[in-house]
Amino acid sequence: MKKALYSALLIAFTLPFSGIAQEEIQLKGKQLFGDMKARHIGPALMSGRINDLEVHPTNSRIMYAGTAGGGVWKSSDGGATYAPIFDEHVQSIGVVSLDPTNPDQNIWVGTGETWTRNSVSIGDGLFKSTDGGNNFKEVPGFENSERITSIEINPKNNKEIYVGVLGELWGDNEDRGVYKTTDGGETWKKILYVGPSTGASDVIMDPNNPNVLYASMWQFRRSGWGFSSGGLNSGLYKSTNGGATWAKIQTGFPAGKLGRIAIAVAPSDSTILYSVLETEDPKKNGLWKSTNAGASWEHLNNDFGLVVRPFYFSRIVIDPKNPDIVLKGGLNGSISRDGGKTFKSLGNMHSDIHDLAFHINDSDVIYSGTDGGVYRSWNGGTTFEIVENLPISQFYHISVDNAEPYNVYGGLQDNGSWYGPSSSPGGVNARDWNSVGYGDGFRVLKHPTKNIVYSEMQGAENVWRYDVDRNRTKTIQPLPEKGDAELRFNWNAPMAVSEHQPDRFYMASQFVHVSEDMGDTWKIISPDLTTNDKNKQDQSSSGGLSVDNSGAENHTTIFTIAESPLDEKIIWVGTDDGNVQVTKNGGKSWDNVTKNLTGIPANTWVYHIEASVHGKGTAYAVFEGHTSGDMKPYAMKTTDYGKTWKSIITPDIQENAFVRNIQEDYVNEDLLFLGTEMGLYVTINGGKNWSHFTNNMPPVAVHFIEMQKQTNDIVMGTHGRGVIIIDDISPLRELNQQVLAEDVHFFDSKPFVMVEDSGFAGSFGAETQFVGQNKSTAGRIVYYLKKRHTFGKMTLEVQDMDGNVMTKLDAGKSKGINVVNWAFNTRNPVMAAAKTFNNGGFTSPRVPEGQYKVVLKKGKNSYEKVIETKYDASSITTVKERKEQEALTQELFNMVEDLAYMVYEIGEMQTKAKEVIDANGAGKAEAQNLWDTLEALRTDLVITTGDNYVAAADPELRERMGDVYSKVATNYDRVSGSVRKNYELIQEDFSKEKVRYEKIKDKEGKKFMKVLEKNNLGAIEMKTKAEFLTKD
Amino acid sequence: MKTVKTLFVALLVLAIAPMTAQTADEIINNYIENTGGAEAWNALTGVKMSGSANAQGMTIPVDIYNMKDGKTLVSIDLQGQTMTQVAFDGETMWTTNFMTMLPEKSDAETTANMKANLGNFPTPFLNYKEKGYAVEFLGKETKEGVETFKIQLTQKPIMVDGVEEPTISYFYFDTENYVPIMSESAIPSGPMKGQMASQMFSDYQEVDGLYFPFSMTMSGQGITMKEIVLNPELDMKLFAFPGEAAADKK
Repeated sequence: MKKALYSALLIAFTLPFSGIAQEEIQLKGKQLFGDMKARHIGPALMSGRINDLEVHPTNSRIMYAGTAGGGVWKSSDGGATYAPIFDEHVQSIGVVSLDPTNPDQNIWVGTGETWTRNSVSIGDGLFKSTDGGNNFKEVPGFENSERITSIEINPKNNKEIYVGVLGELWGDNEDRGVYKTTDGGETWKKILYVGPSTGASDVIMDPNNPNVLYASMWQFRRSGWGFSSGGLNSGLYKSTNGGATWAKIQTGFPAGKLGRIAIAVAPSDSTILYSVLETEDPKKNGLWKSTNAGASWEHLNNDFGLVVRPFYFSRIVIDPKNPDIVLKGGLNGSISRDGGKTFKSLGNMHSDIHDLAFHINDSDVIYSGTDGGVYRSWNGGTTFEIVENLPISQFYHISVDNAEPYNVYGGLQDNGSWYGPSSSPGGVNARDWNSVGYGDGFRVLKHPTKNIVYSEMQGAENVWRYDVDRNRTKTIQPLPEKGDAELRFNWNAPMAVSEHQPDRFYMASQFVHVSEDMGDTWKIISPDLTTNDKNKQDQSSSGGLSVDNSGAENHTTIFTIAESPLDEKIIWVGTDDGNVQVTKNGGKSWDNVTKNLTGIPANTWVYHIEASVHGKGTAYAVFEGHTSGDMKPYAMKTTDYGKTWKSIITPDIQENAFVRNIQEDYVNEDLLFLGTEMGLYVTINGGKNWSHFTNNMPPVAVHFIEMQKQTNDIVMGTHGRGVIIIDDISPLRELNQQVLAEDVHFFDSKPFVMVEDSGFAGSFGAETQFVGQNKSTAGRIVYYLKKRHTFGKMTLEVQDMDGNVMTKLDAGKSKGINVVNWAFNTRNPVMAAAKTFNNGGFTSPRVPEGQYKVVLKKGKNSYEKVIETKYDASSITTVKERKEQEALTQELFNMVEDLAYMVYEIGEMQTKAKEVIDANGAGKAEAQNLWDTLEALRTDLVITTGDNYVAAADPELRERMGDVYSKVATNYDRVSGSVRKNYELIQEDFSKEKVRYEKIKDKEGKKFMKVLEKNNLGAIEMKTKAEFLTKD
Repeated sequence: MKTVKTLFVALLVLAIAPMTAQTADEIINNYIENTGGAEAWNALTGVKMSGSANAQGMTIPVDIYNMKDGKTLVSIDLQGQTMTQVAFDGETMWTTNFMTMLPEKSDAETTANMKANLGNFPTPFLNYKEKGYAVEFLGKETKEGVETFKIQLTQKPIMVDGVEEPTISYFYFDTENYVPIMSESAIPSGPMKGQMASQMFSDYQEVDGLYFPFSMTMSGQGITMKEIVLNPELDMKLFAFPGEAAADKK
């Protein structure tokens, strides 16, 4: 044992020196980023797509929303507000199920959204929480499931669970089917499998008999250019023996192909089933009902609301108490109160209703999951109100401007186009966002110099030029001209503004269109740059059994345009069918460099090209093949105009994290940000290795990344969690092996501007709203620690250049990067003791403009960094006036503390006097005399009665002095005449009181002191002023 | 001298940490041993911690009293007035109303919840089984940039707005030295209900043979201890609800 201890100690002592061996330090993820955290600004006002709702079976306060791209959210207040509980895992959710035997603790989540539109994200398996959602663990066996539709748990035996796997949307998949476990998820058996193209679209258990199961199987497939729903393999199955055997239950259904089938059992009567069919005969589509548990079926209804887009809306929900009340998801959602014979639309809410749920005790209360969030109805579905704090908006694209604070622009799935501020008084609120486009929104770009915004809707059906100041819009999309081929625009059509010519505006169909007059006239400057593969151009028959030609599948189109920031003649183009093309002469000729893309499968979607600022021939291109079932990440770099390319992907990136975007740093060529289906990755060495950024950043699909140049903020448009920002990433530029080897390293910072904004931020009515986090306006002190500080003392303070302590800060102690905010405050004054509080005592003045030292002390070592503060350039006062304000602030600060010490002295004298009075011996009369005169003085100096609210006493000297001090210290304007006169009055009053105090000390005080001395009653113990003012 | 001792103990802590892992009990035992030993921790009857909180440029002196029997008190000093922010005498939990500056009893549910989990002194992990708590090792996780052991602590259930809920928190022990550097628990009630609130622990220093974190950060608010006194001699009246007496005095 002794030997072991010795050798361990030896190791411990030699460890610090092992750094000499020069081994490369590789910090990853949380080790590297420390407490550099992302912030979320929403928006939540239009929310985002909901895939599944789940209510707690016995506690009506608790419910869950599984979202299409924003994780799982839990409400603990009956749906008033929600909080995210699945931020460590993939954000695309298929189903959330509670274990009926322990619904408080056991939560199952099947990932991968199941309403298979073109823009869906992918899932990544099955997860389970056993602690109410605080932690989730992956349940092995479903790694390749992509989409899970159902999790059914036996209410009498929670070890017995059924899982429905819909499977891959863009390829064959043998993991599809219905699975069963009898040991709580340890082992699984596939109990129903039809084929590699047919998945389980619904599995449900009879609530009254856990051995009875229904499963709908669906044959479906999507490609980049089409969708097919239905086939001979689709069918509706039933098992009465816990899944051991299955039989089709289709008596009455039309023969031939079937599409997606919805199925539901009435909780109050297990013989009643409802199903919604998609068939070859449109007259037979819609609602079917069985009153004999599936033995036979009767067709009831083929209204629009029952047949609309089955792949998107196949959910039937039956009132738990009344089998005749039936809800059906749909464009508007439908409700029947006569057992399915007739339906009416649900009340106004966001369109596209995917799931519905009744309150467990009151069927008047209905929850609805839509493309625009969760809604609540209190009157049986007639009126709906939105849940206001689900920031799960799904951006396709974002951009930023150069305003201060800058704005973020972007378009959303089914929710139009918007812009809003990156910071706003009181936080980024719903009301801060401005609508700038209808339909599905995609790219939104600000004109570089004018207050004009470009936006678009799907397929460039409309491209708007919006004059913000004059509130005027004009549609400007390129229109076919004589001799033009038919234009093919992508669903998410590319647009770009020029960094060189402010009025230049690019768009692309299969051609590149350029306008020099903000879209009024257009010129085509390229041939068809796509493969122009006719096989991928017939969208009119897309959809399968139900035609679904929304334009979402338009293919062989240009998807990305990038004009070089270094040369306006260099333009890069990427197409959805795999071409990368570049022109060096403004479009006169184009080089198809696709063949040089070694390692990229043919026809892989070119999602983004980033033309570099670090070289004219340098560009990055990212590719993603998810619409052909290839989820692998691809990102390439060229430095020679595409002649040669190098992959910058490493195994650090999750294997199914396909890439949609890349953003280079404008300063450090080796610093890159990669937007993937599974979140953000960062490299600090040009792609030699990558770190997953997970600090307050869920692994959400990142569709677009911008870097705001003035602030160095990374701004992400995510498809499920709105806009997420990482403030000022400039410290990452400095990271290299030398820095990583230092014990402590302070990062350089630009001089801190001491922002003087002082407006209002009323938040009326926002109690249940999401409010986006603001960027701190404080000075960001950023340092790197090689080790986490755990033992011994560590402090952080700001000193002036002479070493006087200005303020102490709470030091970050994390390994990696630490961010400490300093609001430029010094310390607050020590106030005279009184009965109540005064604002002055809570006011710490700001430091003047200038240089300061940040001093970090760690054990015996001390580390310093000089920082600089600057006055706000938009200040409404002159520097001379500012200096006068600072001088008066200091004078009043000192005056406040002088009074505090005077009141302290009075108190100590009174205490001694009281002691003598209480002793009832020699000197009592003198003591009483002193006490009384001092008390008369004290009650003129400070408040001695009342409270801090409506029983407050009239202000005394301390309060008047504190108020004027606070007023001068916190005002950013010059000291006004009125304030100065008030100060003079208070100064004069204080002088009088000081004289009065001196007189008392001279008369009653001296008499008392003599008595003390004469009778050996001890001296008055009094701290020095310096001692008194030291607080810690 | 103290620094040297701290360093030595930190290294010693390294030395006695077994190289391989790990059950929850091993982690907890290492923690208890490395910070002073079960015997010493069990002998502790109370602590008084004096320090200060930093808030928006203000330094607020804070005294925290924690007793073995669950009595607790937090008092702060604002503008020369010492006031009890929260106190519990074993029966009654109370706070000071900042408008009237008078003591007020906490609601019955809050008080009952306080009583339900009196075993937090000096750490909930000491004799956790006897206290009726359960622990579970959930695996390793990176927190504060370092590898930690994540332990789930389940204490007695509490009532939240009339409904019983479990009391679950998570502690992260640095794998290098087995001291907790962070804890997390779900906010039990209010608009933030369910969101995780975290606490960070650092600046561990020795006080008469026991190691305490002298710096704590709770939901972004830091408290730095200046002095920790073990087994302080206190008048137990300190913890009691002052009742009408306080009003009269005022």
